[in-house]
Amino acid sequence: MSDLFNPSEEHLALRKMVADFTAKEVEPQAEHHDRTGTLNRELFGRLGELGLLGITIPVEHGGGGMDAAAAVIVHHELSKSDPGFCLAYLAHSMLFVNNFFHVSNDEQRERYLAKVVSGEWVGGMGMTEPGHGTDVLGMTTTAVRSEKGWVLNGTKTYITNGPDAQVFLVYAKTHGRISTFLVDRTCPGFTTSKPIKKMGMRASTMSELIFEDCQVPAANMVGEEGGGLVHMMRNLEIERLTLAAMSVGIADRCLDIMVRYGRDRVAFKQPINRFGQIQRYIAEGYAMTEAARCLVYNVARSVGPEHHNRLGSDAAKLFAAPVGKTVADYAMQVLGGAGYCDEYKVERFYRDAKLLEIGGGTLESHQKNITKDLTRKLD
Amino acid sequence: MKILVTVKRVTDYERKVKIKPDGSGFETEGMNFVPNPFDEIAVEEALRLTKEHGGDVVVVSIGPNDATQQIRQALAMGAQRGILVQAGELDSDAVARVLQKLVEKENPDLVLMGKQATDDDANQAGQLLAGYLGWPQATFASKTEGLESAEEKAQKPGVKVADGWASVAREADGGIETIKVQLPAVITTDLRLNHPRFASLPGIMKAKKKPIEEIPVASLGVDITPKVRVLKYEEPPARLAGVKVADVDELVNKLKNEAKVI
Repeated sequence: MSDLFNPSEEHLALRKMVADFTAKEVEPQAEHHDRTGTLNRELFGRLGELGLLGITIPVEHGGGGMDAAAAVIVHHELSKSDPGFCLAYLAHSMLFVNNFFHVSNDEQRERYLAKVVSGEWVGGMGMTEPGHGTDVLGMTTTAVRSEKGWVLNGTKTYITNGPDAQVFLVYAKTHGRISTFLVDRTCPGFTTSKPIKKMGMRASTMSELIFEDCQVPAANMVGEEGGGLVHMMRNLEIERLTLAAMSVGIADRCLDIMVRYGRDRVAFKQPINRFGQIQRYIAEGYAMTEAARCLVYNVARSVGPEHHNRLGSDAAKLFAAPVGKTVADYAMQVLGGAGYCDEYKVERFYRDAKLLEIGGGTLESHQKNITKDLTRKLD
Repeated sequence: MKILVTVKRVTDYERKVKIKPDGSGFETEGMNFVPNPFDEIAVEEALRLTKEHGGDVVVVSIGPNDATQQIRQALAMGAQRGILVQAGELDSDAVARVLQKLVEKENPDLVLMGKQATDDDANQAGQLLAGYLGWPQATFASKTEGLESAEEKAQKPGVKVADGWASVAREADGGIETIKVQLPAVITTDLRLNHPRFASLPGIMKAKKKPIEEIPVASLGVDITPKVRVLKYEEPPARLAGVKVADVDELVNKLKNEAKVI
């Protein structure tokens, strides 16, 4: 048995396991960590025990040995209860672990892989800077060769897992070209700012990464000098795809909440789902969620270490991110005052959903990339 | 020790079951199927016992070919191999007879079963099996330490096995009683025996390669003639709306003359 959403029996078993875990362990803690703006470090460790932190890493290297579709399944299911926690998972497993594995050498894997796959260490990735987000090539963080290794100077910002991670993949310029470095929290000259407060996704933490003559050992340059741009671009595909999957999870949950509420809530002596105005929110919300689901899972089939689909992953996120936000908005409108208050959880999903139109590529960056790629196809 | 554990494929207890219009059975279209939750507890207990005492866990399901999904889930939790007896809907007596045959073939030291399946809630197969085998039985196995205890967090078995005997804390009407049964025995599990583990991703990948033996029920030579005949399924009557009474006298009057409870 296989279908677009569960390409194999193992994918289906994985979905059932993550859905079960989400309902029993993730859902009950979500509100507390949203309110306190903290990462549930213990629950994060449980993801390691379940073998999810290295989901795309080959089995012989201690990972789950699965593909982009499996990563999509995990993000989709976790986001039905706690998108904020899922974002911490994404920053670790996709931005750090998946990226690191494909560009590192044996010695680096030996030092880091077991720690991040087990969940003993949390990882993160530093790309965005205060003055350079979508314009990533304009980054100003530099790395200069020293006797013992490299000296980094500059600041990264909006870095998910910044306050919690022990190790980061950091992009910095060497002789004008982008290179990739492993920076441990203990590197001299490295600090993180206090946590940055944000509107949603509050169950994951965020901070600046600050490099002040930060000493990085020579063995911590990842790949070739100047190879950073390729690393970055290659990993962006699975990042965008899994962010899009989170939006589908948010939409699924908000749809479920509004369908139930539409049935149970009585106004003018009848359930409100008898009213055309409510039916429009429910029906259009469902249709756009289904469309996003099909696009995301279809693109997942063509994203992996060996094959690439930048157009697809940009399109998936460009389409799916507004769907999560819109369906959360529809749900809030159907619930009215009850949706605006925290009891029905819609307001949390509404706040979380917006991030997906910004993080991991703004809608505008996807528009830029898609236009560029389509135009290039004409040549 | 070798433990045989049963896993029945049942309808998801979190979804509403719809009865067919003619009352002959349930609508299966679009239904989600899961392992019987009491059986998951039995699998977990078996895994903890074999971790402590060594040995193998063999998972048995009796049902349609799709029940391999529920067997795989138990294999993903850590059981070593599976047996699927391919059969249609059987009553508890037939299930016990089929299991008796498998027990004679497999020679386990212990059979662990959920106390009942959440679809028909019959609560009979374990007791009947022990009867047919002439083995001791301990039903409704629970844990004296409780589910918040350090023992549970350390994933220790609630069933204590030593010197060929099993000590079982069982939930009885008045509280928890502990009985000892000599092995081999049949033990059925209650809700508060343990928290079953989630199958890990590596477990799921390993389960793919674990063997599942498929046995057509007819080949076992067991009499599966139903002893229980289902005439018809119907929904329980819908609850009637309540009534408001004006005063205590009216209430007493209604309880006495209409409800006839006082």
